[in-house]
Amino acid sequence: MAASGFEGFEKRLELHFFGDDPVSHDNMGLRLLDLESLQEVLNAVQCTIVSAVGNHYFDAYVLSESSLFVYPTKVIIKTCGTTQLLKSIRPLLQYAHDLGLTLCECRYTRGSFIFPKSQPFPHTSFKDEVIYIEENLPTNLCYRKATVMPSKLPTHSWHVFTASDQTHPQNMPDVLYTMEICMTELDRVLARKFYLRDPGDGKSGDIAGKEMTELTGIGDTNPGAILCEFAFDPCGYSMNGIDGDRYSTIHVTPEDGYSYASYECVGSIYDDKDDVVKVLKKVVQVFRPGTMTVSITCTSHDIWTRIALALEPLGLKCRSCVMDEFPTAGSIVFQLFTARRK
Amino acid sequence: MGEEGQVIGCHSVDAWKEQLQKGNETKKLIVVDFTATWCGPCRAMAPILAEIARKIPTVTFLKVDVDELRSVAEEWEIEAMPTFLFFKEGKLVDKIVGADKDGLQLKIATHATAAA
Repeated sequence: MAASGFEGFEKRLELHFFGDDPVSHDNMGLRLLDLESLQEVLNAVQCTIVSAVGNHYFDAYVLSESSLFVYPTKVIIKTCGTTQLLKSIRPLLQYAHDLGLTLCECRYTRGSFIFPKSQPFPHTSFKDEVIYIEENLPTNLCYRKATVMPSKLPTHSWHVFTASDQTHPQNMPDVLYTMEICMTELDRVLARKFYLRDPGDGKSGDIAGKEMTELTGIGDTNPGAILCEFAFDPCGYSMNGIDGDRYSTIHVTPEDGYSYASYECVGSIYDDKDDVVKVLKKVVQVFRPGTMTVSITCTSHDIWTRIALALEPLGLKCRSCVMDEFPTAGSIVFQLFTARRK
Repeated sequence: MGEEGQVIGCHSVDAWKEQLQKGNETKKLIVVDFTATWCGPCRAMAPILAEIARKIPTVTFLKVDVDELRSVAEEWEIEAMPTFLFFKEGKLVDKIVGADKDGLQLKIATHATAAA
């Protein structure tokens, strides 16, 4: 493991709002935030928009350090490196307030940093992060929980903080769930595909990104989606997929010594049960990681048990599985898999 | 005319057909921005497109709101925004989905200079 390098592990923030007047602005809520306001939020986090696309349900932005998804009453920001993600809370709440929207749920998750000492405050520790978030949350979010979900490896825990206002039921129906996959020790040969062939030749990141999608077969993980991708100079890759009201997102830090890739997507309990299996198989095929954690916000036994069933034949053995429940925010099942060669 | 160097908004199906017809006759490259008022990435792209239009008056730039001209958006199967369609002599020659500023400039350069 290198002494220091780019931190691939992301911090993820999800905010749900409700509006007093749901019929205002044709129900477009947060999508009406103008570019300057969005950029101000991102400036606080220290990242910028590099690509974007939208459809009838939401807007998806590829950022210099991960992704941003804006739905009418929900925002999801995921950033990596040494970005200060939590600094987005205050401006976001202010802009939402100006649009007549009030926060009803906050969810913050992240894995374990590969280089924790390189993180700026408040990301210096989970405790500092929780204190910081709580200082910026309105008091109506009174049902709170912070927990570190462990795994068999001390280097791979899952940190979760949720806060909700029980008087407003979850905006997202229990039908949908989110799956967050974090992979480390990527296959070296496969990771090399995420390096620009001709760095510094001035080719646009979007165009180079499309080439990488083709080359690596990543598009097959979500064949029905419209993709918006970006390749970084000299290496690195980010992709957002939009498919109806669902997003998927992939971020790759290919450098040997601290290689990392994440895959996140939304599924439905009504999907074909094999869909999650297909996605997992494809993801493993693209990255062949040495270690993989899967966090899923779904209590359906049927779905989270399929994860191990999908990964075992690919040589990834389940080392641990833990579940925890969060007041009005639902449950999370966190599993760790390692390649048999270990 | 006064429209050169600007992004022309098409507010009716007739206006749309008229513009395509004009392009067919003049053999100018037509770049169409399919946009929606509620789509953040579209709003982000608008000033960039206006700037490009100002700099390249030899290309016709059109703007179509997918809600206003729903039938046109459906005809061209617009699923995500912004979508840029490139027309030359009545035929669709290229397409970009997403707010890709560099890709847009590259494709304009490619198609505008192709055998005129």
